[in-house]
Amino acid sequence: MPLGLLRFALNKKHPEPRMFREPDALKSSYDVVIIGAGGHGLACAYYLARDHGITNVAVLEQGYIGGGNTGRNTTIIRSNYLTPEGVRFYDESVRLFKDLSEDFDLNLFYSERGHFTFAHTDSALNTMRWRAEVNKHMGVDSEVVDRETIHEACPELDLDCGGHLPIMGALYHAPGAVARHDAVAWGYGRGADKRGVEIHQKTRVNDIRVEGGKVVGVETDKGFIHTGKVVSAVAGFTPRITEMVGLRTPITIQPLQACVTEPLKPWLDTILVSATLHVYVSQSSRGELVMGSALDPYELHSTRSTLDFTESLSGHLLDMFPFLSEIKVNRQWAGMADMTPDFAPVMGLTPIDGLYLDAGWGTWGFKATPVCGKTMSYTVANDRPHELIEPFSLSRFENYQLVGEKGAASVGH
Amino acid sequence: MKIIHCPVNGPRPMQEFAYGGAFREMPDPATASDTEWGDYVFNRDGAPGVKREWWYHLASGVWFVAERDTLRDRFLRTYLYNEGEQPHD
Amino acid sequence: MTDAPGRLPARSGEWINRDQVVEFSFEGKTYRGLAGDTVTSALVAAGVRTLGRSFKYHRQRGPLSVANHDVNVMVDDGARTNLRGDVLPIHDGLTLKAVNTEGGLGSDRNRHINRLAKFLPVGFYYKTFHRPRRLFPFWERRIRALAGLGTIKRDAPRAETPKRYDFCDVLVIGAGPAGLSAALAAASRGARVVVVDENARAGGSLTHQWAGDDGAAGIRDELLRRVAAESLIDMRMSTTAAGYYADNWVALVDDVRLTKMRARQVVVASGCFEQPAVFHGNDLPGVMFGSGVQRLLHRYAVRPFRRAVVLVANSDGYRVALDLIAAGIEVATVADLRPEGETGPLATLVEQAGVTVRRGCGVYEAMADKQGELCAAVLAPVNAQGELDASRGERLECDGLVMSVGWAPAGNLLYQAGTRMDYADHVQQFVPAELPDGVHAAGRVNGVYELQQQLVDGERAGLAACVALACFSGQIPEQPRHEGASPSHPYPIFDHPKAKNFVDFDEDLQLKDLLNACQEGFDNIELMKRFSTVGMGPSQGKHSNMNAVRILARVRKQSIMATGTTTARPYFHPVPLKMLAGRSFNPERRTSLHERHRLLGASFTHVGDWLRPEYYRSSERRRDDLVVEEVRSVRNGVGLIDVGTLGKIEIRGPDAATFLERIYTGRFANTKLGRMTLALRCDESGVVTDDGIAARFGDDHFYVTASTTRTGAVVQDMQHWLVRWKLDAVVINATGHFAAMNLAGPYSRHVLSELTELDLDTAQLPFGGVAMAEVAGVPARIMRVGFVGELGYEIHVPAQFGGFVWDRVMQAGKRHAIRPFGVEAQRVLRLEKGIPIVGTDSDGLTNPLEMDMEWALAMDKPLFIGQRSLEILRKRPSERRLVGFCLPVGHDGARIRESHLVIRDGDICGRITSVAFSPTLNRIIGLAFVAPDQAAADTRIDIRGDGGGMVAATVTKLPFYDPEDLAQAGAAALKEVS
Repeated sequence: MPLGLLRFALNKKHPEPRMFREPDALKSSYDVVIIGAGGHGLACAYYLARDHGITNVAVLEQGYIGGGNTGRNTTIIRSNYLTPEGVRFYDESVRLFKDLSEDFDLNLFYSERGHFTFAHTDSALNTMRWRAEVNKHMGVDSEVVDRETIHEACPELDLDCGGHLPIMGALYHAPGAVARHDAVAWGYGRGADKRGVEIHQKTRVNDIRVEGGKVVGVETDKGFIHTGKVVSAVAGFTPRITEMVGLRTPITIQPLQACVTEPLKPWLDTILVSATLHVYVSQSSRGELVMGSALDPYELHSTRSTLDFTESLSGHLLDMFPFLSEIKVNRQWAGMADMTPDFAPVMGLTPIDGLYLDAGWGTWGFKATPVCGKTMSYTVANDRPHELIEPFSLSRFENYQLVGEKGAASVGH
Repeated sequence: MKIIHCPVNGPRPMQEFAYGGAFREMPDPATASDTEWGDYVFNRDGAPGVKREWWYHLASGVWFVAERDTLRDRFLRTYLYNEGEQPHD
Repeated sequence: MTDAPGRLPARSGEWINRDQVVEFSFEGKTYRGLAGDTVTSALVAAGVRTLGRSFKYHRQRGPLSVANHDVNVMVDDGARTNLRGDVLPIHDGLTLKAVNTEGGLGSDRNRHINRLAKFLPVGFYYKTFHRPRRLFPFWERRIRALAGLGTIKRDAPRAETPKRYDFCDVLVIGAGPAGLSAALAAASRGARVVVVDENARAGGSLTHQWAGDDGAAGIRDELLRRVAAESLIDMRMSTTAAGYYADNWVALVDDVRLTKMRARQVVVASGCFEQPAVFHGNDLPGVMFGSGVQRLLHRYAVRPFRRAVVLVANSDGYRVALDLIAAGIEVATVADLRPEGETGPLATLVEQAGVTVRRGCGVYEAMADKQGELCAAVLAPVNAQGELDASRGERLECDGLVMSVGWAPAGNLLYQAGTRMDYADHVQQFVPAELPDGVHAAGRVNGVYELQQQLVDGERAGLAACVALACFSGQIPEQPRHEGASPSHPYPIFDHPKAKNFVDFDEDLQLKDLLNACQEGFDNIELMKRFSTVGMGPSQGKHSNMNAVRILARVRKQSIMATGTTTARPYFHPVPLKMLAGRSFNPERRTSLHERHRLLGASFTHVGDWLRPEYYRSSERRRDDLVVEEVRSVRNGVGLIDVGTLGKIEIRGPDAATFLERIYTGRFANTKLGRMTLALRCDESGVVTDDGIAARFGDDHFYVTASTTRTGAVVQDMQHWLVRWKLDAVVINATGHFAAMNLAGPYSRHVLSELTELDLDTAQLPFGGVAMAEVAGVPARIMRVGFVGELGYEIHVPAQFGGFVWDRVMQAGKRHAIRPFGVEAQRVLRLEKGIPIVGTDSDGLTNPLEMDMEWALAMDKPLFIGQRSLEILRKRPSERRLVGFCLPVGHDGARIRESHLVIRDGDICGRITSVAFSPTLNRIIGLAFVAPDQAAADTRIDIRGDGGGMVAATVTKLPFYDPEDLAQAGAAALKEVS
């Protein structure tokens, strides 16, 4: 038992203050307004305050802290991307993640588990090798491994997947990790709040006022706020924000579903992904198997669940782990993923002066949380894109300079 | 699972259908500027609302137009492109 | 062997069979129960009070709801884990142990955690273990090991369960009085009704809460008789409505299968969950819900204790007290939290039985004996603030403590269906305020508690469903409104300095945990849930969410309505993966020649859904050698490959040529009859998506091929454009109609000429020519192709004749040592010919310019898909170029493979897309993306191979083999077959 817990027994009153204040009312103006109190928005606020000294910041959230995709994802963190720009970006995120628990003095349960992406075909194996080669080139620990290595890491796995599409090999990414997703948002929220940032929950943005091509303020359900800088970090709600200012983007919204089983004693240490079987699975520190699959195949701005999702996911999971037949699925849910044509984010400046986008996260937003905060805060503070996010500008589409993450056309989470 | 009314086959479960994207008019490639063309190729009206979309009945190969509320996932109307009201943008 | 001291004499309506004794074991001891018993009822009958350990503090737990609304009794039967003892039927030989113990239920080594509770406040794991960082893995392992409930069974078999699709007019969820009444009303109007209930028998609250009431028993029997007599009602017991999905698609789970029910109307009559009073020790074995006690008494004739204190805040509690008295259980007192007490006749009846009713009195704490089980309750009066005055506490010995203080609607499916639920003060619960179309609610879930009213409410809902179905148009009864005192107490929650007053039994959350969560800023319902984990356990908040909302509302000084609830998501009860998975169904496609390949020793590989021969094990030699042999036989003699998996698309109609002009990059309008053309496709952004050939067999008839794995998408997309352009043509996916084989090699003409009358002379059928003719007497489409770089003929015949034609070709080829070859040899052959494969030598962003295929683009056409984007791309500097390369003969450096990178000055500038040893050129050749300035022939490129070893390669003009195209023209000299 760590000594840190002593104080809870020795104090009569629970010795913990609020993690975030509840500000009374909106001020009439802020230097920066961030829309969305998910991990990204709060991280941006945190680094704006900590690294750039900008503390007159309001984070506006229509729901509650971390209630969007921050709290709905399957918490996987990795940097084994395909393109050098992707690898560089996510690798920085992983680096930042590792320090967060100590930075925040809040245990995020950042847990390196190792991450396997299975290849069931020759062409998938080629893609895995492509990623591994790029990763190694960029100094990221990834390699293509054979069946024996997979078996050693996860002896429970049926490598033949019931005889259907046997696993031929995998991309193994040792730094692949999981973390307590909610706590990431709370940690950033607490840190931002401590530095003077105001977090306004249940505050809805109804409009962004633009004059002469420049942001001048934000209309909320609690009144108008003057500001010259607005950061949109709202994932599945991005098109609603960009529509307010007539900004055209390629972002479309598709639901991404997930589910958990009942808690089980730990048995699965690694994170396993099969794009072919549309399964990714890890075991949380509570003991639940946390599972996801591919995006729902059509546009929808809703977090409804479908039965088809758990049916097909369960079938494929049992192809991999037949002995889980009697294990029960406890709960399913969904998030709204903001997809782009090239499976890479849209970040940075926009044609509207003072409007900054942190969007297009598709299914990868959680793992980018820290680096997004870092780079977006830099971009807002300096009004020029951080070099790590330059390849992800909105203008790349009209310039036909798409990011090659789609090159692999592989599903990854 | 949702039910979709195929204009040819009647009500069928969603798994028999594929989404074909938003209904969009292609600009005249001869007159569209590069920017206009890029906008057509990549950009979408991503905000929720009642949208006109293409749907495909996989089993019978029927393409049709659906008007769907993308917030509530409700199909309001489906019709064949050349038989329904002439969609226009 | 233990007897059953708790078993009561037989009573009417009991669910057990006294003639059938069942022997089972629990925690190493053997017990006897009766058929019909659940694990919980049998163990309680046997006098066992502690049935499980809690999740976090490993506290002893006994039965609570006996309805699967909590997980106090979770067991493992050796094959399955996390089984709910409340509802698990016993059978002979069943061997059980409690989950989540270390060393058994009695001596669980983790029980000491209970004493450490004050060190482990809500969210304690966020507050420590992370410093120093290097120790976190140690703590994490400890924490993970303590978390979790059951243990997986690594050697359990894959269970394959059937699934069923079903349809009905009205699905009624819940076979209680309201549900049965609804079913009868709907069936009486001609609706086909299915009633589901998770319980083994129908009757709902009539089998426990009302079971002690003689009048109610009569109603139950009458309802069940009428239901049994109604042919339109299909009763399905032991069936859980696990989730509601769009368009009244309801997942029904029974012991055998998942049924996907499409209901035209749904009536939710799912009742409610009893809610605990929150006081110190409210989780001790011996503390139970009133409804839980009634389930034991009436269904299983089991008496859970001898002397009970009954804590009440509603009429239901008095009924429980009367049931206890009738069962011979001493009621020490009835403590009514309400200062005014019970106003109806029930209190009188209780008092007439000699029981003291204390009004305005609550339980301050429950006390445990040395065994850790309930031995006494301390009662205290409720003061004006609604708190308990501990200074006036009074201790009463008891081995049972019954809580009957309120309910929460079992509204999970209603929420999932999108129902708006509002908090109704007169019943102190959420009730449906706005139901979606096709969904109805009745009974307690609808806030209707009185039995006669429930019957009326059920009838109303059943008839309302019929109105929606247009099979009834008469008068519908008004929705009854609950009269009198609320069945639920607004705040049955009491502080205690020693805490252990549990709100959530699954997660071991005490009142202070939720208060502390609020203090830390997690003071809205969703954040409270996420921080404290309230409601996140296996019972999904059935017994805890409502009290959490009450606590939060009080902290925030706001209404319950303003506080809101968390979102209810599937599943109502957890559903086994096997039920969701059903039978494993992974279809694969085989060509009509599959059996031939098998007999020839093919080693198959998956290509999409298809199985294709990768190579043939024609001898004992190694795979690579066999592939080389196959390649040589094509180069020097003749080979035959099954290409039946290729997409084959018929395009017919007056606009067929116009259509192809727009779909593909090349020219088709002027394609002559009997000729074929490359068919290269792009998407609208100019990315290459597929290629094939388009053969013209008539003015309005083209026959097009597409890649094996993309055919479905290609056809779908073609049909889409056809509709959008309103062209007069049809597109038919004829892939399965035809068997297809490619006869290739210098001797292919010799072989084919033996089987057809068609003049195969180049003058008549040149390279790129196509014809319809008979082959071996079978109508065939013959196309002179050159994919492998040799003289070759694709022969497409109706699928049913495929085997016959294959056999005849093989026979005719014997003289020339014909040999079947697989996709691996074909891959090498086409690589030698320098032909890129879309999807292998291109990726999701590759355009034809980068593949050096500008020649295939008819940019001056009026329109083709991708054309406008290619015009834009043409103006931009290209970033990469696909080129051929080769290694020196005898390369013995690092092995290079697909996806190895081309490196220049330490930067990535390309990658290998295809690489193979060429038997024909006797060296390693390949295709690679390189920087545009490396694309000229003879440029040296550096590839990082296996183990990081750098390999120098030379860019080579394509094709590697036969640059003059003599072979495919049939103009090369014939060689002797070795």
